[in-house]
Amino acid sequence: MSELILQALYSGVLQGGSYALIALGLALVFGTMKVINLAHGELVLLAAYMAYTVESRLGLSPMFAIPVALVLVCITAVLVYFLVSLIRKDRELNSLILTYGIGIILTNAVLLIWSADVRSTSSSWMQDALVFGPFYSMRSEVLFFVVSVALMGGLWWWLSKSWYGRAVRAVSSNRDAAKLMGINPRSTEIVSFIVAGILASFAGVAIFSYGVIQPAFGHVLTVKAFIITVLAGIGSIPGVMVGALLLGIAEALTVTLASSALQELVGMSLFLLVLFVMPNGLFGAAGRRG
Amino acid sequence: MNRISSKIGLVAAALSLHVGGAFADEILVGAEIPLTGSLARVGAGMHEGISVAVDVFNKTNGKHTIKIVTADDESAPAKAIAAVEKLAGDGVVAITGGYGSNNIGPASDAANKLGLPYITSGGVAENLTERGYKTFFRINNTAGYQKAMVGLLETMKVKSASVVYSTKEATADLAKDVEKELAAKGVAVTLHAFDPAITDFKPIINKVRLQDKPEAILMVGYENDYVGILRAAKVLKPKVKAMVGVWSLATPKMASDFPDLMPSVYGTALLPFPAEFQSEEGKRFADTYMKLYNKAPDYLGQFGYVQSMILFEAIARAADAGTLKKGGIAQELARTDRQTLIGRVQFSDKGDNLNFVHRMGQHQDGKIAIVWPADAATAKMNFPGVPW
Repeated sequence: MSELILQALYSGVLQGGSYALIALGLALVFGTMKVINLAHGELVLLAAYMAYTVESRLGLSPMFAIPVALVLVCITAVLVYFLVSLIRKDRELNSLILTYGIGIILTNAVLLIWSADVRSTSSSWMQDALVFGPFYSMRSEVLFFVVSVALMGGLWWWLSKSWYGRAVRAVSSNRDAAKLMGINPRSTEIVSFIVAGILASFAGVAIFSYGVIQPAFGHVLTVKAFIITVLAGIGSIPGVMVGALLLGIAEALTVTLASSALQELVGMSLFLLVLFVMPNGLFGAAGRRG
Repeated sequence: MNRISSKIGLVAAALSLHVGGAFADEILVGAEIPLTGSLARVGAGMHEGISVAVDVFNKTNGKHTIKIVTADDESAPAKAIAAVEKLAGDGVVAITGGYGSNNIGPASDAANKLGLPYITSGGVAENLTERGYKTFFRINNTAGYQKAMVGLLETMKVKSASVVYSTKEATADLAKDVEKELAAKGVAVTLHAFDPAITDFKPIINKVRLQDKPEAILMVGYENDYVGILRAAKVLKPKVKAMVGVWSLATPKMASDFPDLMPSVYGTALLPFPAEFQSEEGKRFADTYMKLYNKAPDYLGQFGYVQSMILFEAIARAADAGTLKKGGIAQELARTDRQTLIGRVQFSDKGDNLNFVHRMGQHQDGKIAIVWPADAATAKMNFPGVPW
């Protein structure tokens, strides 16, 4: 039994790292602009399909797709920003409808270009088992868990130490006051969308490397990212990591100790429980530490 | 570019309204099918088979011409109802298509209310034929898949098996029926249900490896599930003798897309790959398929072709009898008794195919060999054998 639980915890931690990578970009844009980008999952998916294209057409490792994905996804993210910025009234609500529509357009674009087939990496290096004692995983899972932690550290450093990062936080706290301090909110918001695009690029390549992708998969990713973002507390980067790990571990333990059919139910129950007890999320405004 | 154009054409067909009035000798038939959403791949595969059936029928039947009007149900039950109602408004006389029991159920309810015959091969949930509709017909069913899976395991003489299955209606029905039959034959079976949204199968396979310790793992799911399960198994390496799946697994697509995961894996298959057709109809089907899509047919196209051809022939007979709009199509479908590319088709009074039995294929050296039943086998079963 202990071997089962240890493996469940390990799988949960790795899965949590994957969730965090997906949720970070959404959390950043949500934190800075109060815009829930419902097309975020499709941006991740776009990067995943770039990895598929690079691997299937050029015969290269999915890792080589990262630069291409960065360019394409960041351009798409900026386009999404420009469309969102056209909203003059009730941006928080109307952006939901707009980004949902953009998500549908991107899903169908992916369907037209890459067809509805199930895709995943054929790289045996990525899929090979990595075994540490009782812990089993694929190489790609460990690799992208490390990448996820590194990106999270980098993002935390950027937000707290760099000028632009602090500008993002200033705009997030009070847009008008930030303007008075000489910060251009528009360029700051563009930067946050670009950073979200960078994070989505890594997340997409990661998913292609250890998971399976399909055109309709984007909204599943968005929902998962949204749950983690709300669970974490708006704008909290450490909260995203903690929320993602909690979710990953809760799901894996549910599979091991009860039934895998209950996995999604337990995730949603955890989400509702946290919101009920801590309406601002685990690291929300009232008790934010990050 | 050609590929993109053809995809645009497919979606345009899905979105298209019926254009203008049909020619006098043309009979409109609706295709309600998922061309977008989570079932887009299987829907597109079935749609190819339907198009091949139209081409073949129109060339071989001198008297009547079929024109297909396609409506995309977007893999969603509510949209499936809307698609059927739209097709009825367009003036179709019957509907072919549908994928996923949860979509087919409400779509065929709507078709029944509108008096339109509905024929499918995309849903095997048992309750679909328990409604007693005189307008609903399907050419495959859970029982056919169950016979094939249980028959293969009997041939293997395994004493224990773990069934890992999706909680979707059709997969859950099949898994439970297989479990019941295997248990009755003295095989120790453990069931593991999983949510369709699951992506990491390692915790499940680890339970199978450490607790169940079966001789075979049965997978009842869809393509993405199979890839996840096989990947997890390849990492954890449970000591099993066989990995056995069901639909969408023993296909040329899976062989070419996941060559490292497929060796020795079993799944239901009507044909070996490369496909070999002996009958005239089979050869005509394969040639037309190749001409239209520049590829060899797969099982989705084959099912789509058979269900549509049976429907078109029933429509032609009803038109000849002058009962086309007087319930004649459903009556003619009920009288169907003919050899097809999936074997003999005859419908019960509930609309189920009485004779449907599947075959089991195995991935061997990038090809698919039929290994069960013995009289249809094209190669010896590679047993024990797993991809790792």
